[in-house]
Amino acid sequence: MKLKRRWLVPASLVAVAATTGALVAASTGGASSEKASGSITVWVDAVRLPVAKLYVKTHPKVKVNVVTYDGDGNGATTMQTKIQLWNRTGKGWPDVVFSEQANDPVWMAQPPFDFALNLKGVFPASLLKGWPAPSLAQCTVNGRLVCLQDNLAQEVLYVNKKLMGQFGYKVPTTWQQWAALGAKVAKEHPGYIIGNMGESFSHWLYLWPDRCPISQVVAPKTVRINSADVHCTRMATLLDPLIKSGVVPPESVFTPAFAQKYGGDNDKILLMPGPTWYAKDIFGGTLKVPAGEMTAALPLRWKNEAPTTGQVGGGPWIVSKHTKNVAAAIDFVKFATTSRAVKSKPGALSPGFPSYGPVATMWLKSLNKDTYFAAPPGAAMKAAAGLVWKGWSMVTYPDQPIWSTSVVTQLVAGKALSDQLPALGEGLSNNAKAAGYKVVNK
Amino acid sequence: MEATRTRGLHIPRGLPFVLPYLPFLIVFGIAPTIYALELAVTNVDGSWAGVDNFTRTYDDFRFIPAFKHILVYTVVWLGALMVFVVGLALLLHGRANRVSATYRFLFYIPGALAGAAAVVIWLFMLDPTVSPGAFLLRDLLGASIFAQSIAPGNLPYIFAMIAFWTGAGGWIVVMYGALNTIPPDLEEAARIDGAGPFTIAFRLKLPLIRKWIAYMLILSFALGTQLFVEPEIVQHASFGLVSDTWSTNQLAYQLAFRYADFNGAAAIAVDLLMIGLLGAVVIVTRSGLFRAED
Repeated sequence: MKLKRRWLVPASLVAVAATTGALVAASTGGASSEKASGSITVWVDAVRLPVAKLYVKTHPKVKVNVVTYDGDGNGATTMQTKIQLWNRTGKGWPDVVFSEQANDPVWMAQPPFDFALNLKGVFPASLLKGWPAPSLAQCTVNGRLVCLQDNLAQEVLYVNKKLMGQFGYKVPTTWQQWAALGAKVAKEHPGYIIGNMGESFSHWLYLWPDRCPISQVVAPKTVRINSADVHCTRMATLLDPLIKSGVVPPESVFTPAFAQKYGGDNDKILLMPGPTWYAKDIFGGTLKVPAGEMTAALPLRWKNEAPTTGQVGGGPWIVSKHTKNVAAAIDFVKFATTSRAVKSKPGALSPGFPSYGPVATMWLKSLNKDTYFAAPPGAAMKAAAGLVWKGWSMVTYPDQPIWSTSVVTQLVAGKALSDQLPALGEGLSNNAKAAGYKVVNK
Repeated sequence: MEATRTRGLHIPRGLPFVLPYLPFLIVFGIAPTIYALELAVTNVDGSWAGVDNFTRTYDDFRFIPAFKHILVYTVVWLGALMVFVVGLALLLHGRANRVSATYRFLFYIPGALAGAAAVVIWLFMLDPTVSPGAFLLRDLLGASIFAQSIAPGNLPYIFAMIAFWTGAGGWIVVMYGALNTIPPDLEEAARIDGAGPFTIAFRLKLPLIRKWIAYMLILSFALGTQLFVEPEIVQHASFGLVSDTWSTNQLAYQLAFRYADFNGAAAIAVDLLMIGLLGAVVIVTRSGLFRAED
């Protein structure tokens, strides 16, 4: 059993590579600011540690106290615990926090935690323009910009170009074509798969892109959860036969069984909707799919409707409202998210798709040159960045455990996805109410 | 008169033995309990809340399922402990010394693993792709992947099995020690009177170690209702296929540390304390644990 952090977590996929190497490689350039000085405390996960270290090295005027923690990944509640503690004692808050959990800023922005600083007017507006609109929307809580995503995790369609060519299949562009191809694969090439449903975040990959309203904040502290909406049911109906025939198995890519059955040795992955951070780390690393086979295509859309896609994570930076050194804290976030020194190419410093547009372009250029891919995946990823459907809001309660316990366990037992939607809606509603939300079920 | 004098002497004599533990008991046992009692009957601003926290957590949609899980788990686990620990100890006690010492050692080994480490081993045992007992998982549970092994219906039994596997060895050793306190002439007298090994085990030995069994049940009952580590680790390892509020203690943890509801969490903790106390009272009175020699 591989015990990796696996909740949302783009970047924990990547082992923390040799920091020193990264430092040497990246020490040219860097958005260094003259104003920043004094001292700040920064809490980061292991993956962001090289970035923090590089900042320390390139900004001698700022005394940075770097603290590493689990990053709140994998459903941990470290930050909730710590912030309550700091709030109780009235001191000790860090100035900047990175979280692997995309929904962390939402509770951090509200009582009783009340931790996140409104970055609007504090963070340079000229730079904010570089973030895609859906990313800023996700970080906006009650009209306040409470975080900045470090990386984006938009969903694309991964394609095994070699196998598709070998079987003579055309890459689908709509969910309908994809499902039709699935039916064909089940008959012509049983054992091959076109996706998977066993992740704790599979609903983000399959229900989010079809605009299923089960996590839609419609007013402050009011969430719309309607799993009976046609945008949920039609996708479930489309998926039911595919799950049953085994072309979309209810298994997780992070289990050893999955790598064994579908990974590199057997090479059975034909297509797979997945977030940008899957790319080389999951296919090349976890699943050992050989080089020269995989690439990315545009996310699937519903018939001829406007294309929308889902997202899986995209860890945010949060600045504390208790900070006594706003200038240095902002300077740090600026460096971590927008500087070329950190973000210009894929690697230990920037494993995930950068959220800040100008550096993302450079990062993609470098990714496109990677010989692992059968064709440059960059264009599809870039296009998908702006397509993330904004109607799926982050909420204070985690929705993945509910999806896993109420749906995935049933799929594993051989039941149909359509039949689980009511239980999913009920589970989400119960949790939303317990977290203090008003729930609208229409 | 005689009795009270010896009693009075026992306390100062025993005191030095408990003294090193006493500060820890107060700081980490009694004080937190009092704090929890206080939190359970107050609001977040410290004002009096009465039973509000108790009714509020009782109405929580996760409360009843969590208690149901714990109930099944505790019943299965305590049942297994009673039958197998006592049974194995009685069997061992009838064996030659060297054989019995070897078995006692074997039974004890899993208990040497710390709780969390034992669970991690079970993560492998329950994964049909790597488990040495894969054929059992396939034939008994019908599981070909890990997610099927830990299907919701299997969980109470799986957790009970893990807990039994790690804890039973220690208790077997304790029970064996208890059996050793039985004077050999009693056993011999029974044998002369014509009692076979079964009669000796069940009619003679078993009643004489009743108090030790009661002691085991009290401790295990409290431990069982406070189950936390097993479901928590399996929940993380399965990427959420097990609910993060599967057990009552997990629910208290989630309330305190995800929803910042310390008062609700304290109310559940007090519920568990009451259940533990109630269980202890029932077992003590039924078994006569503290009754002086008849």
